[in-house]
Amino acid sequence: MADTALTSLLAEESIQLDRTAVDRFDAVRQCGAALVAAGAVDESYVDAMIQRENTVSTFVGEGVAIPHGTLAGKESVKRDALVVLRFPEGVDWEGNAVSVCVGIAAAGGGHIALLSQLAEILLDPAKAEQLRTATSSEQVYALLTPSDDDDD
Amino acid sequence: MPERTVSIASSVGLHARPASLFSQAAAKAGVPVTLTTKAGKSVNAASILGILSLGIGHGEEVVLKAEGDGADAALDSLVELLSTDLDKE
Repeated sequence: MADTALTSLLAEESIQLDRTAVDRFDAVRQCGAALVAAGAVDESYVDAMIQRENTVSTFVGEGVAIPHGTLAGKESVKRDALVVLRFPEGVDWEGNAVSVCVGIAAAGGGHIALLSQLAEILLDPAKAEQLRTATSSEQVYALLTPSDDDDD
Repeated sequence: MPERTVSIASSVGLHARPASLFSQAAAKAGVPVTLTTKAGKSVNAASILGILSLGIGHGEEVVLKAEGDGADAALDSLVELLSTDLDKE
């Protein structure tokens, strides 16, 4: 398959597992800052992420939100990338508790395949739980690596 | 069981904002709605993760099915939603 591996888009410095945020917009800004730090987006992408969050919540269930920019913000994307920020104390997301944000920068249609892979992982409650409680970047990488069913 | 075939009008496909709006509408439909892709994968239309996992692109056809009182009306309004470019702000 030609799917881009999620792990190839996620730099080790972009996995931050012990963050706190005062509210969801703070959490989104932190995801944006991490994407800027990773060299994936321009500063203006952070505003596009806030705008997206304002229009529709990026909460997807399982204690996870996936902040990303609007279509208009795509011009500020330099390369596709992911960041994983964990908020062990939780962040109130319009009444839902979020403990992990997966910030996404995607310039082209790669967005869809990327989200699809991520959603597949989160649809497994055990894996979602492992992501919410991950304490090392190794654990996060292991979760985002597609499991090959070639065992037998 | 009533069903409708519709192709995704949103230019970005069925993810992000369009997927959120659609799954919220499906959750409020009052009847369980399933969404099936051409490849034959089915998910609960009210589950945003389920919908995202399908990775449905612009112009792709999907089949919506629902059962129970008000199924037809619910499907009609969901079809209308998918026939609109939901990513226009």
